[in-house]
Amino acid sequence: MRQKIKDGWEERVGLKELIRTKLKEYKVPKGVNIFYTLGIVTLLAYMVQAVSGYFLLIYYIPHPDYAFKSIQDMMNIVPFGWFPRMIHIVVSNLMVVVIILHLVSIFVMLSYKKPRELTWVAGVCLLFITLIFCLSGYLLPWSQRSFWATTIVTNIPTAFPVIGEYIANVLRGGDNVSGITLSRFFALHIAFLPPIFLSIVGFHMFLVRRLGLSTPSFSKSAEGDADGPSFYPYFFLKQVFMIMVFFSVVFFIISFMPTLFIPEAANTPADPLKTPLHIKPEWYFLAPYQMLRIIPNKFFGISMQILLIAIFMLWPFLDTKEEKNILKRPLLIVMLIAALAIWVSLTIWGKRP
Amino acid sequence: MRYFLLSVLIIFILASSAIAGYREAFEKEFLYKSWGTEEQEINACLGCHSSDIMKPEFQGIPGEWKRSWHYQNNVLCHDCHGGDYKDATMSMSHQRGFVGTPKYADIPGFCGKCHVGILRNYLESGHGKALQATGKGPNCVTCHDSHNIQKASIDIINEGRCTRCHTYERAKIMKQAMFATENKIRDIDNLLENLTLEGMYTGNEKRELFSTQAGFRALFHTIDADLVKKRTDEFMQKLNAIEAKIKASFDELRFRKNFSAFLMLIFIGLGVVVYLLSKTYKD
Repeated sequence: MRQKIKDGWEERVGLKELIRTKLKEYKVPKGVNIFYTLGIVTLLAYMVQAVSGYFLLIYYIPHPDYAFKSIQDMMNIVPFGWFPRMIHIVVSNLMVVVIILHLVSIFVMLSYKKPRELTWVAGVCLLFITLIFCLSGYLLPWSQRSFWATTIVTNIPTAFPVIGEYIANVLRGGDNVSGITLSRFFALHIAFLPPIFLSIVGFHMFLVRRLGLSTPSFSKSAEGDADGPSFYPYFFLKQVFMIMVFFSVVFFIISFMPTLFIPEAANTPADPLKTPLHIKPEWYFLAPYQMLRIIPNKFFGISMQILLIAIFMLWPFLDTKEEKNILKRPLLIVMLIAALAIWVSLTIWGKRP
Repeated sequence: MRYFLLSVLIIFILASSAIAGYREAFEKEFLYKSWGTEEQEINACLGCHSSDIMKPEFQGIPGEWKRSWHYQNNVLCHDCHGGDYKDATMSMSHQRGFVGTPKYADIPGFCGKCHVGILRNYLESGHGKALQATGKGPNCVTCHDSHNIQKASIDIINEGRCTRCHTYERAKIMKQAMFATENKIRDIDNLLENLTLEGMYTGNEKRELFSTQAGFRALFHTIDADLVKKRTDEFMQKLNAIEAKIKASFDELRFRKNFSAFLMLIFIGLGVVVYLLSKTYKD
């Protein structure tokens, strides 16, 4: 009977066939390393965010009078309510780290080169959508930090002449951050962004599968050679290993550094009448924030940032050289190190009062 | 593509410099205004009192206030002295509620606008009665100072301060009566601080402690050691209840830490198993 059901199922669904052709017979290039697994770790992080987010939704009340209290009740009264919230906070930050590492490794291996330009563009889009997720998410607890950091960020579009005030007002739903802003950011966070994110993830994964994993520049195989190991179990186990590492880091932070991403201002209810002395955006916004602070012309500062984002996103179309080994491109190495050094310096500088 | 991006760069640079150069409003708003950092609020009181136009004896007031407990709790000049700190020309206008410096005998009423319970007990005390009878008894600033007001603690009662007016004997008895309760308040305050640093929201417990502490300290202002001793148990019970809640929170934090560490070990273990398993495959 059991065998009959299994056979019937296989006849109709063809799962074994699918696993055989798409996993076991699917070859990955020789020399793929653990950096190739960062994509799946990001996807998993997103799934963890979705699941922990569902639990948070049960108790969270998106209203200025109740938002902070509902979060505190979740942390202090609801049995194990702290667990999904801590996971949500820690994974949101680590997700940004993993995406940045993923992009840097792709850049170092020059995997964005033809025909994978669109895969890169989709990846960069996913980074920015993740940042918008983070931005919209940290207003929701309605704490001093979330309120004032959002005030700073929603003030940025006002740099644009003519349409700037309009954009800022659309974001905030008025002249100031208020309950309307909270409703808008809540809707953005849970309803608008997830389908956009998933669509781009789908496109990104379609391209990865369609074009195959890029062959590392130091590999002996040529691009397109199907002479590497099987996806399953060779590459699959690498992915599972990295997922275990990711979760170990998540629980290490929750256990030993629980306040790493929750400063004191995040535990103080929002007070629109009391401006904190030192309010800073989250660490991943510190570099652009500091850049805007040191450029005296607000419009010029933001124009520069838009331009840098455009260059970053469209880089595969600008780098037209065919050489795929970064070691043979010293200028590119210098450029990458300089860009990373500037980013780290601005982040550290922005952290200081 | 390169030409397109170069064109965009040129357009942005030209547009920003053109707008910055020719639009007065734009310059005023974006070129010179400090932004992206904290907005500095204009405070006419601090501006004048810090400048050379002020008499030297009044110039130190902003500095004293900035070191005070009032400053840390966002109590500004106008909260006590009235007036309009946002408008320099009208800042000392009586129409805007400016009351200036109170007369010596009016100081308790001045502070008592906020510290209502303390005023009531003070007026019933020997200190208050002396002030009301002769106009010369000790008032709030005698013990707490005027602008450099520090967070109240039992240390305010000391031989140096009390013997300016009378012997220390009675004050010593009062201090002993308050000692255990004050120590408990200090310990709970420290525990709450540590709990906040651990990432727990302590707003409710802080409010309870503040209310208990305010009640106890208002009682002290009667300068009646017997009354303080009599009601100490009542305050200690309230403080014990707050302490029990804090300790429960610390236990909860310990549980969370152990639970997460346990999960971390499970994932490390699984990671090791997967790594060893991957080594068994030869492709």
